Amino acid sequence: MADISLSPPLVVGYKKISDVTDDICRPMERWPGGTWWMAFAVAFSMLLLGAVAITYEIATGIGTWGLNPTVGWAMGITNFVFWIGIGHAGTLISAILFLFRQRWRTGVNRAAEAMTLFAVMCAGLFPIIHMGRPWFGYWIFPYPNFRGSLWMNFRSPLAWDAFAISTYFLISLTFWYVGLIPDLATVRDRAKPGFRKTIFSIFSLGWDGAYRTWNRYELVYLLLAGLATPLVVSVHTIVSWDFATAVIPGWHATIFPPYFVAGAIFSGMAMVLTLMIIARKVMGLEAYINLRHLDVMSKLIVLTGSIVGFSYMTEFFTAQYGNNMYEQFVFLNRAMGPFAWAYWTMVSCNVIIPQFLWFRKIRHSWTLVFIITIFVNIGMWFERFVIIVTSLHRDYLPSSWASYTPTSVEIAILIGSFGLFFTLFLIFCRLLPVIAIAEIKGVLKHGAHIEEAH
Amino acid sequence: MPEKFWTSFEHLQAPVEPDLAEFSDTPLRNETGPDRRGFLKAAGFSFGAAMLAGCTRIVNKIEPNLIQPEGFIPGRSVYYASTCNACSAGCGTLVKVRDGRPIKVEGNPEHPVSHGALCAMGQASILGLYDSHRVMQPVVEGKNVSWNDADAFMRNRLEEVRKSGGAVRLLTATVHSPTELAWISRFLEGFRNGRHVQYDALSSSAILDAHQQTHGSRFLPRYRFDKADVIVGIDADFLGTWISPVEFMRGYSASRNPNGSRYAWHAQVEPRMSLSGSKADRRVMLAPWELAVFVNDLADAVRTGNSKRAEVAEIANRLRAARGRGLVVCGLQDTAAQQQVNSINETLGNYGATIETAQASRQKRGDDRALESLMGELRAGQVDVLITAGVNPVYDVPGGEVAAKAKTLVAHALRMDETAAKAQVVLAGSHSLECWSDSEPVEGIAGIVQPCIRPLFQTRSCLETLAAWSGKPESGLNLIRDQWQKEIFPKAKSNLAFDKFWEQSLQAGFAGFEPSPRPKTAGTARPAAAPPPAARQEGFDVVLYAKPALFEFREAYNPWLQEVPDPISKVAWDNYACLGPQTAEKLGVTMGDVVRIECGGQTLELPALVQAGQSETVVAVALGYGSRLSERFAKVGPEWIEARPTLNDKGQVGVSGTPLMSLEGGLLRYSRSGARVSKTGKKADLACTQEHHSLTAPGHLRPAAGATRPIVQETTLEEVRASGGHRPKEAPEPQLWENDHPTPNHRWAMVVDLNACTGCSACVVACQAENNIPVVGKDEMRRKREMHWMRIDRYYSGSPEDPQVAHQPMLCQHCENAPCETVCPVLATVHSEEGLNQQIYNRCVGTRYCANNCPYKVRRFNWFQYSHEDQIANLVLNPDVTVRSRGVMEKCTFCVQRIQEAKIESQRTGAPLRDGDVKTACQQTCPANAIIFGDLNDKNSNVSRLMADDRRFKVLEEINVRPSVGYLKIVRSEAQRDTEKENG
Repeated sequence: MADISLSPPLVVGYKKISDVTDDICRPMERWPGGTWWMAFAVAFSMLLLGAVAITYEIATGIGTWGLNPTVGWAMGITNFVFWIGIGHAGTLISAILFLFRQRWRTGVNRAAEAMTLFAVMCAGLFPIIHMGRPWFGYWIFPYPNFRGSLWMNFRSPLAWDAFAISTYFLISLTFWYVGLIPDLATVRDRAKPGFRKTIFSIFSLGWDGAYRTWNRYELVYLLLAGLATPLVVSVHTIVSWDFATAVIPGWHATIFPPYFVAGAIFSGMAMVLTLMIIARKVMGLEAYINLRHLDVMSKLIVLTGSIVGFSYMTEFFTAQYGNNMYEQFVFLNRAMGPFAWAYWTMVSCNVIIPQFLWFRKIRHSWTLVFIITIFVNIGMWFERFVIIVTSLHRDYLPSSWASYTPTSVEIAILIGSFGLFFTLFLIFCRLLPVIAIAEIKGVLKHGAHIEEAH
Repeated sequence: MPEKFWTSFEHLQAPVEPDLAEFSDTPLRNETGPDRRGFLKAAGFSFGAAMLAGCTRIVNKIEPNLIQPEGFIPGRSVYYASTCNACSAGCGTLVKVRDGRPIKVEGNPEHPVSHGALCAMGQASILGLYDSHRVMQPVVEGKNVSWNDADAFMRNRLEEVRKSGGAVRLLTATVHSPTELAWISRFLEGFRNGRHVQYDALSSSAILDAHQQTHGSRFLPRYRFDKADVIVGIDADFLGTWISPVEFMRGYSASRNPNGSRYAWHAQVEPRMSLSGSKADRRVMLAPWELAVFVNDLADAVRTGNSKRAEVAEIANRLRAARGRGLVVCGLQDTAAQQQVNSINETLGNYGATIETAQASRQKRGDDRALESLMGELRAGQVDVLITAGVNPVYDVPGGEVAAKAKTLVAHALRMDETAAKAQVVLAGSHSLECWSDSEPVEGIAGIVQPCIRPLFQTRSCLETLAAWSGKPESGLNLIRDQWQKEIFPKAKSNLAFDKFWEQSLQAGFAGFEPSPRPKTAGTARPAAAPPPAARQEGFDVVLYAKPALFEFREAYNPWLQEVPDPISKVAWDNYACLGPQTAEKLGVTMGDVVRIECGGQTLELPALVQAGQSETVVAVALGYGSRLSERFAKVGPEWIEARPTLNDKGQVGVSGTPLMSLEGGLLRYSRSGARVSKTGKKADLACTQEHHSLTAPGHLRPAAGATRPIVQETTLEEVRASGGHRPKEAPEPQLWENDHPTPNHRWAMVVDLNACTGCSACVVACQAENNIPVVGKDEMRRKREMHWMRIDRYYSGSPEDPQVAHQPMLCQHCENAPCETVCPVLATVHSEEGLNQQIYNRCVGTRYCANNCPYKVRRFNWFQYSHEDQIANLVLNPDVTVRSRGVMEKCTFCVQRIQEAKIESQRTGAPLRDGDVKTACQQTCPANAIIFGDLNDKNSNVSRLMADDRRFKVLEEINVRPSVGYLKIVRSEAQRDTEKENG
């Protein structure tokens, strides 16, 4: 490529404005191909497996999970925190990077926001199904009732969680939808009269592309970005309080909020990359998601990964320095006890492997980055598992020390949550523009190709 | 008929069905069978009718109370004094009867044997009443028949034998009921060749035989642990399973009160870790064959004052220093050794002081020699009629299958055990809560067994049966009353009329009288010369023992007792081969590896369990398992895809150890040498509720800040004496919110004396009975999902070869700053203004956050729907306590229902609550008096006093949860403290 400017182009290949619209709308306008159907079949089967497992669990009892009085939370809450973390990249990319005028975000923000929504849906499932009596799960919300003064407990981090997550979901959904409106109008304009056109007409809210419409749209989007920004920090901070406010050594730590937020961005970025690397290949979007994105997001991963690694070390230091035998034991037990394998899986995947991204060559290899993101995804799942299970399984009284092994039901539910996530994502790829058409047009290098053509 | 209210004209014309599901008063309705009322009605009519034709004449019908009898208040409990029948110790009980059905058995505080305590088996005995697997009517040759037919059949058969002069044998366990004994001899008098044989599955026959030799009379003395200053137990687990554990535990803890004027020293000599061994100040581990040698050495040392063996010399010197205040007890089934023990006690002047012979014990009367000769007769086919009553020789006597060789085998049994299954005639026995009987556990103390409910099935007591066959088909009440009028009343020296005396005794549950004197021969006979040490074969020594809470086959049906984790091994629902730590390492086995024990042509395969503090040449196996009675537990736990069975591949719980027992030389023997133990390579599940056994972190995980957790604390007698018992005044810790939980009226609290606690687990079962705690089965226990609100943690310290043991009852600590309360999102667990941490079941959604955040891990979760719809078993449920459904958290409530009951009673009478008015179920039953509950706002209460004791500490005080449960430190001897520091 002849381009030697300091910032490489955000869209490569000489795309005209009409090419952009065509490229992005094309997958939506034709009958899906074999690859999509195969992927969908796999994802949907996973979803069905999960649905069967959840039905069985609710019908039979939460005892079908491998829990015990000592380890009261394990895979269920691990999955919850994992998915909430995955859901973090969306808001970060769409809100914070928007405010910081990081224009490279336009290539990935739509998909990342969709991913956020789907991940939060997956996450939201777990606090409900992990209850002993999920049919009374709504008691966690403060709603008017006839039970006298009996309400919910505002001191409980679980109640805060319910607020944090529902707020996050609603704001993310609104933000995503507002950003979609101009593109929905584009699709509407291209559609033949019929059912599809009607639907898109309704959801594009009478978008007319006028100057005043654009003006208002931009303002609303900016305001929403501002509103969503604190959520990036708040959601995972509150999730971390589930643990940090407890008296259990290994949970009771002030470092948890920043540590969790960094971890969430880390895992979210990794998941965005994983998905986008596949999507660009399958959907032929190589021009819009390119090395520039790969490079920037890899750098974010190495940054957040290092913060996470630093937090791991800080925890050990605090335990050592605090001179509390229970705390010290929990960390020794984490690194050398029965769950040491999980701990070292976590450290390798989250701290060691991402360090390879310091090398430009590796950052610029789609395959290598893809492999590293997979490791990060695995590592971040294990991070939550390690925090939850290793802290609980050997706490204060040695008499109640216990172990934990997941049951087939729990594994099926984990698979099912991935099934739900991918099913939704695949449907999203078919029905909505995966890249923000209107925004990407703004970052095209108009004229560049004309010069080249001369 | 009340006025009919109507809301609309349609309603008036078509009456609306009440919503049964919501307002049903019979929540445990069985879909297929009749409901509870229907069942009781049917029981009343049909069984009443059957009884009418039979022998009962007291109350013949159960009908609804159309006109309420005076004094009967629905919802209020009535207590009847009775006597426990779970083992032969004869503890006094108070049976709590609510609305016509007994729901709990408690100790009778006035009773001179048990003083208000009861063991786990006694507590669980009520389940034996409400057992849907009982023999419900007589069975003759495989057919269910009426009592008339059964009696007719038996009369014919007995008449034949009477005429032919054939042999009639009645085989029972220890019978100390005076009336039963009288009727047994009356019954047998009718035959030319009739004999009564008693044997105990856990035999003490050698002690009786030894007294025959040394004291000229075959009797069991009464051991008074409460009077002893030096206690030496030689293979006698007197705190666990030996003779009369409740009585002994009471006495033992009375002698070992560190705040009292004297503190008994206890040495235990044993091959395996027993409960008694776990409390000993000095524990000597010996192989079984070395025990007799030890007794000889001790006898020599006691006479001469020195010994080559240091441990013998130490014990002997202590004994010699405490003449007349020492007590040597021995559980060996070896008459020579027992004679030596008698001579030791005689030399030391313990007879008449700590060993009572004038009012001797009648708790074990089994005669193994008679049993052996009966077995010989059976083998030779010389027995015409063998009647077994309450025993199961086919199961628990080695070679007992020969019982089937009797021409007619008659089993008087509550359940279809091995013997009943082989019997031609099975007589459906009544539970002790359904029939009249009496007892005489100690000479001069007669207890009454009175029925608290009409027989649930067509059953009859053994006494009534014998009377009926002897031509006096009387009710049990009349038989007992007559006997008391004739025999006991005259000796009682009461100045009341008999009717008054009877009423008084019935109310008290017992009466004292002057026993007939024993011929005075005490101390005349010298023991035989020291016997040579038993010839020992190479290999392992098998030791067969009884588990506390599940002595023998009789309890194998009882799910509560099966579910009690063994206080030492913490394993429930199984027996196993206990191996010493080094032996296990040598064999390459760890917990759960199946090993094969071969001994004397018998082979047993059992999962191994590595037991600290066990002699390395010993393999120990618990008795009472592998019985037919445990076959009922096939579906005891929840059923789901990964559930594993409670029963083993033989369809039973555990494996019977009886084949390794022997009956030779006139004694049942529980140990033998020359066994081979090998690894089979198979694996088995063991439901162990405690994975880690020490308060010290495992080797490579030891933190710098200290490896041993201060969860169980210890002190020495010297320190206790130095402090005078009172702790220095402490400045109250600063609190973020002062007086966050004001407790203006009461502030309930508990103190648990770890020094007194023996780990016997009576409290665990008492709590289960009181609080409707479900049974979850082996697989759930294996997954650490036991539901016991009260658990007993057991920690080892020191080396695994010779550890020290600490038992720590752990229950909800009712923290003032309870971590569980803040985290519940729906306010399902809150603080009461009496200092209780309360759980609201119907508000709980089951997030389990509270359990995670509980530092003591005492919260219990209903992982499945554990409560079953068993029409009969559910009659035991306490109506004051909610039966929990699945998905909710539960935990100890400090027996809030008892607190409420006492408060209501106090309001009703106007008398203020006094200390001791509220007793929790665990406290009520504790044989060691280790649990004290009360009101901290009452400065003079026992609990306030103990909270100020210098030994008091609180578990995890440093995390400022401010628990309401205090613990009193264990008192160790100096020597023990030193070894402990070494190993941490």
